[in-house]
Amino acid sequence: MDITLFLQQFLNGLSIGSIYAIFALGYTLVYSILGIINLAHGAIFTLGAYFTYALMGGNFGFNGLLANAALPIKLPFAIALILGSTLAGLIGVVMERVAFQPLRRQGSDPLLTVVSSLGVAVVIVNLIQYLVGAESYTYPADTYGNLPPSINFGTPEKEIPIRTVQIIIFAVSVAIVAIITYFINRTKYGKAMQAIAEDPTTASLLGINSDRFIILTFFISSFLAGLAGTLVASSVSIAGPYFGIAFGLRGLAVIVLGGLGSIPGAVLGGLLIGLVEAFVPTEYSGYKEAVAYGILFIMLLVRPQGLLGRRFIQKV
Amino acid sequence: MNNAIAQTTALLSTCALLLTGCGGGGSVTNPPNSTPNNTTTNTAQTTTTSGAIPIGIALAQTSNVALLGQEGFVGARIAEKYFNSKGGINGTPIKLVPQDTSGDEAGAINAFQTLINKDKVVGIVGPTLSQQAFSADPIAERAKVPVIGASNTANGIPEIGDYVARVSSPVSIVAPNSVKAALKQNPQIKKVAVFYAQNDAFNKSETEIFQKAVKEQGLELVTVQKFQTTDTDFQAQATNAINLKPDLVIISGLAADGGNLVRQLRELGYKGIIIGGNGLNTPNVLSVCKALCDGVLIAQAYSPEYPGEINKVFRQTYIDQYKKEPAQFTGQSFAAVQVYVEALKELDKKTKISTLPLDKLRTELNKQILAGKYNTPLGEIAFTPVGDVIQKEFYVAQIKMDKDGNTGKFVFIK
Repeated sequence: MDITLFLQQFLNGLSIGSIYAIFALGYTLVYSILGIINLAHGAIFTLGAYFTYALMGGNFGFNGLLANAALPIKLPFAIALILGSTLAGLIGVVMERVAFQPLRRQGSDPLLTVVSSLGVAVVIVNLIQYLVGAESYTYPADTYGNLPPSINFGTPEKEIPIRTVQIIIFAVSVAIVAIITYFINRTKYGKAMQAIAEDPTTASLLGINSDRFIILTFFISSFLAGLAGTLVASSVSIAGPYFGIAFGLRGLAVIVLGGLGSIPGAVLGGLLIGLVEAFVPTEYSGYKEAVAYGILFIMLLVRPQGLLGRRFIQKV
Repeated sequence: MNNAIAQTTALLSTCALLLTGCGGGGSVTNPPNSTPNNTTTNTAQTTTTSGAIPIGIALAQTSNVALLGQEGFVGARIAEKYFNSKGGINGTPIKLVPQDTSGDEAGAINAFQTLINKDKVVGIVGPTLSQQAFSADPIAERAKVPVIGASNTANGIPEIGDYVARVSSPVSIVAPNSVKAALKQNPQIKKVAVFYAQNDAFNKSETEIFQKAVKEQGLELVTVQKFQTTDTDFQAQATNAINLKPDLVIISGLAADGGNLVRQLRELGYKGIIIGGNGLNTPNVLSVCKALCDGVLIAQAYSPEYPGEINKVFRQTYIDQYKKEPAQFTGQSFAAVQVYVEALKELDKKTKISTLPLDKLRTELNKQILAGKYNTPLGEIAFTPVGDVIQKEFYVAQIKMDKDGNTGKFVFIK
């Protein structure tokens, strides 16, 4: 393979992989603390994108209940991004109270929470459609100021163009991973979350309020989903209420590949799947998704705990 | 425990796929791959139609194809209001009876059965997807209820049965026209890159027509890149094509994916002409690629700028209401309702339709639909004996975006 083409595809892979990674981080955070998969994560991802769009003064088409509605304010992208993601985080907290906490209190099987989260996802997606219709929405052209639309990493003769928004997403992903890793491993709150993940009963006996930390976990996870949704939407537009579903599926593959519950694993899984997809030959580019899932199944057979996951040991 | 992880993963994958399934899927042009539902349908409809004449509208109002269904629904509503203001069927108004088909076959079947048996409609406009039509149309066929597809473009739709027709042309003629239009704009075009959504039967057949047209014009096809209508990131495909330095890019996709592809091609530095296929013929594409849509040539089966009288009325009504140009499916749904209205009028002149038993009315209406000629917003149309649309006018338009980059229009160029 020509070196220019290789570098092009490598950078393409990193840019899409970083999107998968940032999405999967929130997924894996909830799993690592509660041992459950929140299938509503994709719906929250979508919500975050819509929140930011609304806060930037975006107008909502003509099909939903909010037809032609727009907020009287127009916030700059950076502020709208933070507020929109915060709103997504708060929705995540409400979701936890409504759909997860009652099941947890009853000591229900964790698999029931998966079904519950599926229900939440369907409700959110349909609610979005009811409110704002099914149209695509795009953030304003000056979302990232006057930055050039793409940057050439090659030479004028042999160009390796990467869209600027992809580079921004990559940089944000790296920063988020660093912050989350620091938070989990170095702060009191992060260590408390790890203690709950390890043994909730013992953590409670040690004076850690599990309930509060579970809320915090859901907030951070949903905040990250909202952030990822907004960043992706700024790259490709909000492709309707089902926007986050495909990412949700891919996110599942990412966290299983990286290792369930492993934060570095989520990042590694995301980047790997992005790279694999980028290197699918042109004539099979429409099948890149199948290739990614094929690798996942092989991984499950060879190393079921994922690349960086812990092997579960059953004590007898 | 390894097994437990594998089992859990399998369950989660199933749940996630179910979630995707909840949203329906596919596009307006998927091929037949499902067995027609064998649910029995009450075909003995002997009551007569009194009061407003009910016409069923079975289009997607929910699911991830809702946008297409909603575009169609708006056109049908405008037609209802317009034709009723003109006296309806020789004095009797029509009444649209909407049913949501959602995005899957089951939704379409339920909608059809309700419309046929409960609402006792004289005919149905719909469903949204070709895939749904292959499942639901046979139900109407067995019940001898006329169906007019307003957004079904796959091969084999009219052949489903005697009672199935469509006003949505597969536009096989328009593709070569848009290639010629591109060459007229830039006679130096030599190298062409083609992109198409491989999970969509219509886009697949449209790209074949485009590729044939490219070869017939003596142009070099430098690459064929595939994608899915559900894709959002096209960095890999776009850079693959850009590195081959094409002078022309041709895209067969739908609004969201096609619009995103246009946007990403432009952002990555592609400056040549872009042709969008019929799936991009909707103002919804403008909100995806915004200012970067400017200059894209679009192959059209419906043009808002078609100068016919009925189109002027339809277009103005739409613009007054929604402040933008109508989409293709909106025009086609209007045309479908118009076909019912004009066929009912003709039938009423021969025999008072209020005196006809419903089953007889449906049968006679179907014959009249196929016999008539209609001057619609699509231009003059008629039907082949099997029920496929005969459309004379096809169009090529160019997108002109306003300075703000948010609004724009399709400027008719042929």
